Amino acid sequence: MKMLQQVPRNALAWIIISMFTLLAPHAGRIPVWIMLIYLFAALWRIQVYRGHWSFPGRWVKLVMIVSGFAGIYLSFGSLIGLEPTVALLLTAFALKLIELVSRKDAYVLIFLGYFVCITEFLFTQDLLMVLYSLLNVIIVTTALVALHQPGEHRFNRKTMRLAGVMVLQAMPLMLVLFFLFPRIGPLWTVPVKSHTAKTGMSDFMKPGDISKLSQSADVAFRVQFEGEIPVKSQLYWRGLVFSKLEEGAWSNLGYFDVPAKERRQQEVVTKGEPLNYSIIMEPTQQNWLFGLRYATPDRPGILAAPDFRLYSLVMIEDEFQYQVRSWPQAQLETELSDWRREVELRLPDNDNQRTRQFASTLRAQAGSDEAFVDAVLQHFNREPFVYTLQPPLLPDVDGMDVFMFDSRRGFCEHYAYAFTVMMRAAGIPARVVAGYQGGEINPVNKTVIVHQFDAHAWAEVWLPEEGWVRVDPTASVAPQRIEMGLEEAVAAEGTFLSDSPLSPLRYRSIRWINQLRLRYDALTYQWQSWVVGFDGQVQFQLLRDVFGEISAGRFAAALIGTWALVLLPVAISLLRRREIRPQRPLDREYLKVCERLANLGYPRQAGESAADYAARISRECPDWAESFNRLTGLYTELAYQTPVSAASEQQFHQALRQFRPRKGRER
Amino acid sequence: MQIQAVIDAAVAEVGRVLLGKEAQIRLALCCLFARGHLLIEDLPGMGKTTLSHALADVLGLSWKRVQFTSDLLPADILGVSVYESNDGSFSFHPGPIFTQLLLADEINRTTPRTQSALLEAMGEGQVTVEGETRQLPDPFFVVATQNPIHQSGTYPLPESQLDRFLMRLELGYPHAKAEREMFQRQHANSVDRTPLRCCIDREQLDTIRQAGAAVHASDNLLDYLQRLVAYTRESPEFAVGLSPRGALALLDCARTWAVMHNRGHVVPEDLQMVLPSVASHRLVPAGDYAGDGAALVALLQRNVDVIRA
Repeated sequence: MKMLQQVPRNALAWIIISMFTLLAPHAGRIPVWIMLIYLFAALWRIQVYRGHWSFPGRWVKLVMIVSGFAGIYLSFGSLIGLEPTVALLLTAFALKLIELVSRKDAYVLIFLGYFVCITEFLFTQDLLMVLYSLLNVIIVTTALVALHQPGEHRFNRKTMRLAGVMVLQAMPLMLVLFFLFPRIGPLWTVPVKSHTAKTGMSDFMKPGDISKLSQSADVAFRVQFEGEIPVKSQLYWRGLVFSKLEEGAWSNLGYFDVPAKERRQQEVVTKGEPLNYSIIMEPTQQNWLFGLRYATPDRPGILAAPDFRLYSLVMIEDEFQYQVRSWPQAQLETELSDWRREVELRLPDNDNQRTRQFASTLRAQAGSDEAFVDAVLQHFNREPFVYTLQPPLLPDVDGMDVFMFDSRRGFCEHYAYAFTVMMRAAGIPARVVAGYQGGEINPVNKTVIVHQFDAHAWAEVWLPEEGWVRVDPTASVAPQRIEMGLEEAVAAEGTFLSDSPLSPLRYRSIRWINQLRLRYDALTYQWQSWVVGFDGQVQFQLLRDVFGEISAGRFAAALIGTWALVLLPVAISLLRRREIRPQRPLDREYLKVCERLANLGYPRQAGESAADYAARISRECPDWAESFNRLTGLYTELAYQTPVSAASEQQFHQALRQFRPRKGRER
Repeated sequence: MQIQAVIDAAVAEVGRVLLGKEAQIRLALCCLFARGHLLIEDLPGMGKTTLSHALADVLGLSWKRVQFTSDLLPADILGVSVYESNDGSFSFHPGPIFTQLLLADEINRTTPRTQSALLEAMGEGQVTVEGETRQLPDPFFVVATQNPIHQSGTYPLPESQLDRFLMRLELGYPHAKAEREMFQRQHANSVDRTPLRCCIDREQLDTIRQAGAAVHASDNLLDYLQRLVAYTRESPEFAVGLSPRGALALLDCARTWAVMHNRGHVVPEDLQMVLPSVASHRLVPAGDYAGDGAALVALLQRNVDVIRA
């Protein structure tokens, strides 16, 4: 093989390093055997380099390719979808290593490396991951640099410094492109993440579901209020409204469950000051969004359902930011349609007869609907009901009867469920609302962080004149849940986040860990609102703020202008690099004379020494010969001889002054 | 001692047998004064051997000549131990290399094995025969001649070994006037048959050599040298640039050249005079460059500015 096509040892080492650092973040998503392939491929290539093994033959390669496909099919059950495709890419990336023979292959691997680096962003756009990817870009670039250092026969860490400098130099250009390059809609759609579980609330609820969700310390969403943050006990983030009760499970009314004329939200009379806030949601793979009571969306693509919840037309697959305006005091649906009344009163036949019986009796005693609601809450409060994260399992049939009269241990969904059943049994329209309650206020940037363990379920009852009113039976059983949060409410039980021993949230009592956690969370919020949420709309807004009205010409000028602003310093520094050292004054003086002669038509050639030049000038214009020879002699003496006498220097300057060649004096 | 006068006399003396080649004679002397070995490369019959003989004569050195052939062995040059039947011991019979000036004729006709034996001696100034290291006399010069490598039956010296020669000279065809004079002498049978006079004795040789070290090279000159060297390394015409050893050789020769012209400092012209002979065999043109070493040097000299602009 020709020397020029060889892959230097340094480049090979860096390529192998980069492959492993690129693989690392995917480790949780791919089967173990792919990681083994990486080890195997690296071992094989190193053995080839050491001359012990040889490159694989055609059949071996074919077998490896086929078994790679087969393995992925067996592991994922499909070759289509995001994870199998990425796994396929990663496997091909590893196998290409044992095919790395010449520089051409190295280029393929390196450019594939950049591509693999991007695939990570299909799964997460977390700040730490971005920093890690930056490191990966530097490592892959190091391999690229090493490939262009053919003399480097040893592993060299300094190459990385060069690559790091190169990546840093590219940063300003990256920023320009990020802020200014037109956001073009996707040219293709990324396959759906078929294998990532849907997270957060699900669209139906059985007793036990939310207590399970409350084991997670993941962030559900972050909220930034304009102005004061309302008190915690008022933060009821409505997500889903469960109106249907079938076979012991509550579920949402689907779009087609609602008759056409009921699909529009009823007009709402707003009262009081609205709350303005923006929410950044973590991906859920679901459609519904969260907001406080009577939320109106401020962005196209978000719709309001007739039961006053928000939902997005597209699935939330990435971090998603939206603006909401809420009127907490608004009266919702003061007039109830017949269909709506019928739906919100419906109970399955023959289920939970004891509870229904109990409700009817209580209603008869109470006298009015309001009094009945209070009586039920009093019941929960007075009887020995326990609020627990570990409720006993309830039977599918007559589950609420068991809960109400026997076990009396439950989480929020049990109370909301039982309460709603009792309301409906007594003829009051009622439904279960699921979402999150409360949240943690981050003092660093005044955001509210809502975690999965803030998941909550409560009830809404419809009262004439007042419309839908929120009633939270959990507050009667465990008021500290609403005032302080889940951790306080189950403190005696010690079950808070018992499944995630390493979560920093468990160590909130240690001051500096908590500080660090909150600071990082604030940073994440900034990151999400500025970088991840920077879409075409925000860009348009930003450009309009800076440049006024946007026209195509202005936009192009801004793009090219900033580009030039970034690249010009680079160009200037490159051009300046050419000049090795400044000239000595002596040479400068002499060259000035040469320039003068050149202007008169006698330029000095580059390879011509001063003496040669003087000889030529003397031949061609004898008029100048004497003075120029004298000048040249002095220059040569000063330039090449030692020691230089002050007298010669004086004479040289004198000769300079005397030598005045003019065109007219030519022959 | 008037160095210039002594050298002029020596050049004139050599010029008696090699007509019209004054520049090459001076360069050859410069090479020997700079303690380098000389390679003379040209077609047969151009006066290579004549020049080397004459050099030995005017310097008053002992000299031996080895005709390199394809069956020459290292022992033929270095010497061999012979069993003496009288006293039953081995005694070393030194080869022709034990001389002050060795004329290695047609060095590229012999095998690489023999070439490397000679070149090693050139590099070290000593030879090792049968485990015993023997010092070569001082001064020790090798003047090698070779035919241009494209002739058949030759083993061209590789670049690494060419580098051991300080200078490579090409004699070239004589000037028409010089050639005419040569014909006339031949015809008149009036060739001056008197042997060449020794013009530079051992003491003078040492003086010249020592003077070289004292010559001043100014910053301006070193700048020029560095630009020349940098050009060979960066320009696309060159596959291989000048090594640091090559650059040092250039500076050494330029210093000696300055001494030969009675100057205590080097001027760019000195460098330019020795440049073709010192650099041309060390430079390798890039694959797509049409010219040879000499053309490369011309290009180099033309494109590098003497004064830093």
